[in-house]
Amino acid sequence: MKKIMALILAAILLAAGMTAASAGVEEGLLRVAALYDMTTMDMSKTTDDYMVPMNVFDRLFETRPSPEGAQVVNSLCAECTVSGDGLSYSFTLVPGVVFSNGNPLTASDVKFTFERLLKARGMNTDIPLEVAGGEALMNGEADSLEGFVVEDDLHFTVRLNAPNAGFLAELSAPPLSILDEESVTAAANFGSDPKDTIGTGPYVITEWVVNDHYTLEYNPLYRGEKPSVTKVIVSVIRESATQDIKFQAGELDILNLQSLDSLVVESVYKTAYADRIVDVPIAGLTFMILNEANEYLQDVRVRKAIGMAIDVDQLIAGIYSGNASREHGIIPGGVQGHNDAAEGFAYDPDGARKLLAEAGYAEGQVSFELAVDNTATTDVQTVCEAISQMLKAVGIRAEIKSYEHSAFLDKRKDGAVDSFVAHWLMDYNDPANIMYTFFGSPENARLRSLNYPDTEIMARVAAASAIVDEAERIAEYQALEKKIIGEDAAWIPLFEGRHLFCLGERVAAFTPQWAGFSDFFVTDVVLK
Amino acid sequence: MLNSLLRRAGQACVVLLAVAMLLFVMLRIVPGNPVTTMMGEHADSATIERMTAEMGLDQPIYVQFWKYLTGALRGDFGTSYSLKKPVTQLMAAALGNTVKLAVFASLFAWIVGIGCGLLAALRKNSLPDRLFMGFSLLGVSMPVFITAMVLQYVFAFRLRWLPISGADHWASFVLPAVALGWNSAGNISRLVRSTLLDILEENYIDTARAKGRRPLGVLTRHALRNAMLPVITMMAIQFSGLLSGAVITETVFSINGIGQLTVQAITGRDIPLMQGTVLFSVTVVILGNLLADCLYSVLDPRIRKEA
Repeated sequence: MKKIMALILAAILLAAGMTAASAGVEEGLLRVAALYDMTTMDMSKTTDDYMVPMNVFDRLFETRPSPEGAQVVNSLCAECTVSGDGLSYSFTLVPGVVFSNGNPLTASDVKFTFERLLKARGMNTDIPLEVAGGEALMNGEADSLEGFVVEDDLHFTVRLNAPNAGFLAELSAPPLSILDEESVTAAANFGSDPKDTIGTGPYVITEWVVNDHYTLEYNPLYRGEKPSVTKVIVSVIRESATQDIKFQAGELDILNLQSLDSLVVESVYKTAYADRIVDVPIAGLTFMILNEANEYLQDVRVRKAIGMAIDVDQLIAGIYSGNASREHGIIPGGVQGHNDAAEGFAYDPDGARKLLAEAGYAEGQVSFELAVDNTATTDVQTVCEAISQMLKAVGIRAEIKSYEHSAFLDKRKDGAVDSFVAHWLMDYNDPANIMYTFFGSPENARLRSLNYPDTEIMARVAAASAIVDEAERIAEYQALEKKIIGEDAAWIPLFEGRHLFCLGERVAAFTPQWAGFSDFFVTDVVLK
Repeated sequence: MLNSLLRRAGQACVVLLAVAMLLFVMLRIVPGNPVTTMMGEHADSATIERMTAEMGLDQPIYVQFWKYLTGALRGDFGTSYSLKKPVTQLMAAALGNTVKLAVFASLFAWIVGIGCGLLAALRKNSLPDRLFMGFSLLGVSMPVFITAMVLQYVFAFRLRWLPISGADHWASFVLPAVALGWNSAGNISRLVRSTLLDILEENYIDTARAKGRRPLGVLTRHALRNAMLPVITMMAIQFSGLLSGAVITETVFSINGIGQLTVQAITGRDIPLMQGTVLFSVTVVILGNLLADCLYSVLDPRIRKEA
């Protein structure tokens, strides 16, 4: 009996071992993992899932990393001229570009892409809404986008509602991926079936097994050079420890270290794999929002005291193991317009106590809610706990309250959250992406629960994007930043994280996306 | 017998309907708006309102439930909010892996559980008995995720005998099946041992021995046959439990099954997907219990007679 059992076990293990051993790695194959599957490939339905859009589609422009900082470079657009008033843009497409189904790229496809986002009335409508007639199209009052005029297959003009110096940078954002009108129109449910997902990019999506994996393969009709990686398998591995051992076993080629526990990163990866780590600053920042409609937080002295009571360096060292850099402004490092000289708030708990006393508040009198989204990462929750303790040390009670995700969003939209810690990752390299989003209009300020009251500043923020002279525009943003933080203390800047990736033995080089997204351009990976 | 079976099936349908109703109501009264979750912070109130109407969430709850129920009876459980695909299609795609995992885990649990229980009973208080019972206790008391990670580390990462994760080969299911089935194996072996030890003390066993039956015949024809009655019931219930979705095991071993789908539904507040996966689990458990009742009736003439 024992012998039979032993023989059966040995046979199972031998067969399994042979299976594992015989699985060699295909040439040109890149294996990566994601903690969550994408939900759709339709950009009108997502603001998160960009791996497929970035690699299967192209945009008119791309933002690319460079030693001088991220630069906007031409992609499908060969040439673009802007009228003197900054309102009209004339575009010429690169000739001879075809989609992966062989259809030629035309100006009509670009117009279709803009119009589709508006007609879908879903996500990512902000940029096409800047085009004249965008609002009417979205509201069903027009059939087409009035400000978008197709001249011929390769030429078109776009007229904006108001000048926007950052418009070309906006066109490099993944939501503005150019679609093939014919295949999208014919698709029953665009975004869920790989065969309908037709782009001009270097890859085609050949397979998507929900919650398991998806596969990208080289697009033979791609106009550029053949990339080093010809096939990518993105596996959905929800358990970070499984991603960890798969990488260490050589079954993954790039590991997103953001997926792992920071203790594992510090103890394993920063020691045993130190020479294989690619470290990129995230173009975005973590900040604290204070709702100015709150009884206590409406007093600028209280807001300043909060800024002074938070020891950001301690948060970075204790929670992020130093993998972040302190931020003092609104425009994050690595983004156009970032001000190295921004002052923010110096850590000064005694000064914070004095300010509270000046405001007439006794110890423990100032009390508000520090709301936490229950889907927030453990690190963010720990940051909130640490901030709550730091504020307690100066006599401020910030009570942490956890909300279900949608309840949190609803409460924020009502402008009813006292305070929260959030993170903003830049979609495109222009200060308007963050300045306008938070301070560009009373509606924006309310939606993000700031309830910032200064309409004059909001008007200036909105007007800044129309300043054509670049230096003047940046100077205006920086002046606004100084006013909003230095004088109004309406925003508490904390830190900018760093995104770490670890490269496997088969990878020779990898350049992450300019803003430090987890998604990346596969053409930026070079295999050995 | 048939009447009893029909009565139990009817009761199962009523339970299922009650669970469906309860689930439907509960998912709609918990705080938070699924449309907000789906659309994110960028969506304005007009968009949220339009989507709410498009998804029929602005209708009275009884209208929504009736539509859901009639759809479900036709096999249409709606469209997943997060994955934008029919729930039935998503569940059908995930079901294969869950069934494979449940079958492998059950086979492991049954073979190991009955084997260990039998040997432990026959070698009562010996070293093998203590070893087997220690093994069972470990299986019963160790959390599945610890078992899974230890197995994964030792057999997949260190020894490289088996795949670390995935579901693309039968070998991928060996470690998850052991991790998932160990607990059941422990329970079965302990039950087999204790039941068998009781039966071996019975007079009819002595009678069989006195009549000159060989020890193996006494064990298999008289003792084991009677000892298996509660064990088979347990096995049926355990199998339905394993089939209803092994969330942790599927997550650790990245197996695209019903368990993973359930996690996705919960984290994304995806109501149609949550309803579909939970109803599936409830149905499987109810069927498992029904099967256990039927098996018990078939195997035990006394129950059959009562019925």
